[in-house]
Amino acid sequence: MNLSNDTDISRPSTSASANLGIVNNTNHNNGNNSNIKAPSNDFVRKLFGILERCEYPDIVRWTEKGESFVVLDTGKFTTQILPNHFKHSNFASFVRQLNKYDFHKVKKSPEERQHSQYGELSWEFRHPYFTIHNEEALDNIKRKTTVQKKIMLDDSTVLLKPNSGSQPGMEENTGANLILGNAVTKDKFNLLKRRVDRLQKDLDSAKEESYNAKLEFQKLNSKYNTVVESLFTFKTVNDNLMHNFNTLCSVLNNRGIDLPPHIYEDPNLKQHPNTQQQAQAQAQAAAAAATQTTTSTSHSTAGMSPLQNKAFDPLNNAVNAMVPGPVQLPAPLSTNSAAAAAAELQLPMPNMSHGPTVTTDKGDKLPETYDSFVLREGFHVLLVEDDAVCIQLCSKFLRKYGCTVEVVTDGLAAISTLEKFRYDLVLMDIVMPNLDGATATSIVRSFDIHTPIIAMTGNIEDQDLITYLQHGMNDILAKPFTKDDLHSMLIRYLRDRVPLIKQQEQRAHAANNPHHHHSTADNGTGTGTAGGSSGGGVNHRNNDGNNGNSIGPHSVDRNGYASSEADSQPELLTRSHSHSQLQSSLDDTANTTTTNPSGIPTQAMHPTSGQTQSSGRNAPLSTTASGHSASAVPDQEGKMLMDDEPLLKKQRV
Amino acid sequence: MSAIPKEIINWNILNEIVSMDEDDPEFSKGLIIQFMEQAQTTFDKMQNILHTTRDLGELDSLGHFLKGSSAALGLQRIAWVCERIQNLGRKHESSFPSSEVVRASLFGNDTEPSSAASVESGNVSQLDDSVYLQLIGEALQEARNEFQLANLELSKYYGSPL
Repeated sequence: MNLSNDTDISRPSTSASANLGIVNNTNHNNGNNSNIKAPSNDFVRKLFGILERCEYPDIVRWTEKGESFVVLDTGKFTTQILPNHFKHSNFASFVRQLNKYDFHKVKKSPEERQHSQYGELSWEFRHPYFTIHNEEALDNIKRKTTVQKKIMLDDSTVLLKPNSGSQPGMEENTGANLILGNAVTKDKFNLLKRRVDRLQKDLDSAKEESYNAKLEFQKLNSKYNTVVESLFTFKTVNDNLMHNFNTLCSVLNNRGIDLPPHIYEDPNLKQHPNTQQQAQAQAQAAAAAATQTTTSTSHSTAGMSPLQNKAFDPLNNAVNAMVPGPVQLPAPLSTNSAAAAAAELQLPMPNMSHGPTVTTDKGDKLPETYDSFVLREGFHVLLVEDDAVCIQLCSKFLRKYGCTVEVVTDGLAAISTLEKFRYDLVLMDIVMPNLDGATATSIVRSFDIHTPIIAMTGNIEDQDLITYLQHGMNDILAKPFTKDDLHSMLIRYLRDRVPLIKQQEQRAHAANNPHHHHSTADNGTGTGTAGGSSGGGVNHRNNDGNNGNSIGPHSVDRNGYASSEADSQPELLTRSHSHSQLQSSLDDTANTTTTNPSGIPTQAMHPTSGQTQSSGRNAPLSTTASGHSASAVPDQEGKMLMDDEPLLKKQRV
Repeated sequence: MSAIPKEIINWNILNEIVSMDEDDPEFSKGLIIQFMEQAQTTFDKMQNILHTTRDLGELDSLGHFLKGSSAALGLQRIAWVCERIQNLGRKHESSFPSSEVVRASLFGNDTEPSSAASVESGNVSQLDDSVYLQLIGEALQEARNEFQLANLELSKYYGSPL
């Protein structure tokens, strides 16, 4: 149906005004004949009567043969006959009516016309059943309505085509007549119009919906690709680390260090039943200890018993428990072997001249609260925030604390930035255009599990908080926050860390001075990174580790305060198997690419690029050790995040 | 619904920002001027939405947006109204106190935020969007009022019209 609104509208108006008379006549003639199969032909019979009676021989009469009739004078016909006998107002409409009954004008050439006995202006009409004195035949004369109606309804354009047998001059009128005869009522028209409008609206909204769905799909698709890509990279790195770890283990073996075979032969060592039980026992001890100790956020750690220290971090202990071999090594042997092994691997080794007591001393000097702790300069912070005022304010505060700040304004940008560069900390708004902070974090977590990500938000209902943590965010900074709130948060996650940029400098330095071993970049990264990766609670553990130093042979302070202090680790190997070290080693691997010999630190740090894998073979000792722990981390971390909940800052709602 | 803050400005917060002027003169003023522009734009956007698309979700996020920056500057009464707009937009609230109540709170009258312009909270879920839009319209007017008050106060503080 190509019934556009326009044609619909024009149809009734034009034809109705022009042909009002016809309508009546048509209706009159068809008045009692709604049944098409037996059409009335009163019109024809009336005409037949006039002709038979020969009432107006000068105006209209049978032709000589009696097979047709002729109108001699159309003017008189219109003025005298039409008003008296028919309801047609003009001759043309009378002719149209004849046409409807399938009468045809007898065509004549101009010459014939001139010599016609009835005069030049006469009109002759014929119909096979309309003959003189043959009234019965009239029954066969019918209105040819049905067919045309169908055409009308099927296709309005049909009107423009000539009707068979009608006169060229009559066609338009005939068409108009047809239109009128089949015009829809106004109600019906409006109904159809409404329906068309509604369909149009439906179509528009469907189009819009499908467009939106397409957009959404594209977005999801790109996210999915990002995730898959990161996973793939991660896996490659992981495989590489695993390989290096195995190499290291075999080297150690060759050096006569007795390693339990399952460490490097069984990649699923974390599921070792003994270690699990041990970890559980320690976790229970932790719970018991926690009830005695205050769990407030002011992390007073001095004077804690070794048991408590250990118990605070079941994960760390679990990992430690997995590597009993090195732990049991006598210190001198360990030192020597480690040095030898490291030399073999061409690793920068810490300076061995200091005794282990140095670190212990340092550990005792730890400040007791965050607030008195001075943050190092040079932390590189990514601020993800869409509000200009908040951006200015927050970055101002951060710079005040010696951080360098980079700003992106939505979640998608945050993901792509974190894919390319590394930061010491991420501050992430939640409600943002394109992608919210929580979802962005969960995607970031698929390729970066250790950079601390702090949510900044005004929505701090319990349910929201849980959601953020479940998405892998480490903590929540409630908006609006003060300078001090921000500072506490920075302290909590960065106090034990050396800024990435410093680590690079150190590593670059170490690369330039391989024999002096002044730099301990890999040590320095150590626990600091681990703390950041598993939430505020882990900081307890780092703290505790410090204090435990003085007692346990394997609880060496590794907080990497300053490179010089970490130098003194004779038990590098021991610690290199601890959870924190393992995690930090991920950082190291990631950073290797940017540790260029020229010693120029770059801000663009590529964590998981292809280059990493090639350089991974020459990676530091700790790097190789992390091979088996990387996969174990996320699980445990998820739980720990939930355990950290009491630490959440709920300031000013 | 939380109580309306009595003070236009939370000086604890703003003073901290002002203290940043030490090494960056005009920092706080610049920030406030930026906020003023942002607020005007956001109010106009809200007004526009109320007259055209009447999209509650859009109003919710605009409310949230302005709540963040006003709260960050300590403009707590504006932030409070913005939070109302946010909650009305997400249909978590279905009332907004009358203009008189809002005004009275400014002078320390402890009038409970009554529901002068509210509807029975019993059938909250069945409320028509237009009810929320109506309330947001009223809240927006209050937000503009609060904005003027804050502007006056801050102009007084900086000794020049902002």
